[in-house]
Amino acid sequence: MTNSEAAKIVRTILCRGLTNQQTEQIVNAMVPTTVTSGNTVFREEERGQGLFVLLDGTVEVVKESGPGGAVIIATVEAPSVLGEMSLITDRAHSATVRARTNCEFRLLTRPQFDRLLQGESLAAYKVVATLADVIAWRLNRMDEKFVELSRRGENPQPVEELAMFKQKLFNEWNY
Amino acid sequence: MSGFEEVNYYFRKAARVMDLSTRVERMLVTPFREVKVDVSITLDNGDLGTFIGYRVQHDNTRGPMKGGLRYHPTVDMDEAQGLASLMTWKTAVVNLPFGGAKGGIAVDPKTLSPRELERLTRRFVQQIHDIIGPQRDIPAPDVNTNAQVMAWIMDEYSRMHGFSPAVVTGKPVDLFGSRGREEATGRGAVMALEEYLRDAGQGDVRGKTFAVQGFGNVGSWTSRFLHEKGGKVVAVSDVGGGVFNRAGLDIPRLVEHARTTRSVAGFPETEAITNENLLLLDVDVLVPAALGGVITDDNVKDVRARLVLEAANAPTTPKADEILHQRGVVVLPDIFVNAGGVTVSYFEWAQNIQQFTWDEERITTELSRHMREAYATLSRLVRERKVSFRTAAFIVAIGRVGRATVLRGV
Repeated sequence: MTNSEAAKIVRTILCRGLTNQQTEQIVNAMVPTTVTSGNTVFREEERGQGLFVLLDGTVEVVKESGPGGAVIIATVEAPSVLGEMSLITDRAHSATVRARTNCEFRLLTRPQFDRLLQGESLAAYKVVATLADVIAWRLNRMDEKFVELSRRGENPQPVEELAMFKQKLFNEWNY
Repeated sequence: MSGFEEVNYYFRKAARVMDLSTRVERMLVTPFREVKVDVSITLDNGDLGTFIGYRVQHDNTRGPMKGGLRYHPTVDMDEAQGLASLMTWKTAVVNLPFGGAKGGIAVDPKTLSPRELERLTRRFVQQIHDIIGPQRDIPAPDVNTNAQVMAWIMDEYSRMHGFSPAVVTGKPVDLFGSRGREEATGRGAVMALEEYLRDAGQGDVRGKTFAVQGFGNVGSWTSRFLHEKGGKVVAVSDVGGGVFNRAGLDIPRLVEHARTTRSVAGFPETEAITNENLLLLDVDVLVPAALGGVITDDNVKDVRARLVLEAANAPTTPKADEILHQRGVVVLPDIFVNAGGVTVSYFEWAQNIQQFTWDEERITTELSRHMREAYATLSRLVRERKVSFRTAAFIVAIGRVGRATVLRGV
């Protein structure tokens, strides 16, 4: 995939609001990467390499450390973004990503991105704003999920029916 | 509504007042064991007679199960279930250490000779001997069964298990029966009435007027005790008709008349009255002491008595019961009023276990204690919770059985 084709995709999914020139700046900072079908893009618990833009192909997101062994938690098709958290923090990847088909990526590594920020690249800050939006949206979903789970917790425990009956007979109806 | 449905109707009503869950309700209603057996005998003419015997054991949480055996063509599992549960509640209301059971044989005993009846009874015992017993289930007389039938049951059971007079009650006094058993239901009913009158500030039986429907065991003994205590029994009836005298009937003479003529009808110095009209007389207390289902929503509006003393089982239909309650007519319910019978059965069983005989005075004193204590509990509940005596009785019974159940554990 040519740089200009890649730039179009990067712009639509990562850099809305970037000028052509700014997009070019970001795309130029990226490294093209391909992963053939069945191979791993990155592994859970590994230190994050950076942000992957999936230009072509399909990947599986696999949670390996969960109870009951590896579980595919999502299938992601191009165009999409993976590993975006690693641009902002040093944390390890929270899941494994495996190529289901032959895949083409552009990788923006953390050192490259840091360099752009240090150079006060407006493009890089716009990318941060986009990521902030994505992360805020995820946080919002997490909050909703949390509320749902805590509501489930509020439901009374399955009461001991016989114990209730006993209490009724010994207190309220002890004749 | 069948007997079973009626019992469950009143049970449910009490359960609703107590706000019990449906699963607890189901647990309390479901019988412990139901048994259906073949009772085949050789008839006198050499033919084979096959009958079906039933025993439903409803609940044994509070003690060995207790309840009658009846010989009647309509006996079936449904009827036995309802009556067995009624026995559980009844023994609990008067606080006897018993559970409830009921059973019988689907047969018309009038078609059998005495020897056939004996063979039938012994065969039935052979079929159920392993589920009855002095500490398991203790049968008693019921419709069409009497002291003689109980004697056969005791004998047949004792052949298999050794000497066991306590396996049945209602035996002849000459064969480990109890003094005071015959008149127990009538005596208990009058005790129940006296407790109510005293509590309600209405004095005692003396001078009050009564109409008694039924002049069998319960009706005649109730009439006798009311008469002895100065009550004016103005009307009684039986299947042959009824008699009425506004000034009061001479009960001892009437008993004699009924014994010789087999009916109260035609007793001198009285007017004839039908069974239907007896129920509508303007008296202080109406005593249905014969059949079930005689006070119905058809005639209840014409009942003029201020108080109904249910000496019979289920004489008032649920709908009529509701109307009487709304009209402020107090109904002292069967489950309490006629529990004197099973109470003295308990005394008979206790004497058999003790191998000791109580005199009549002790029987009367102990019966009075059970009826008085039961009444006091019901009265407190009626006052505190504003329910009818019937609902109160079921609440007391459910409470006692329920507490025993949860304490023992499920």
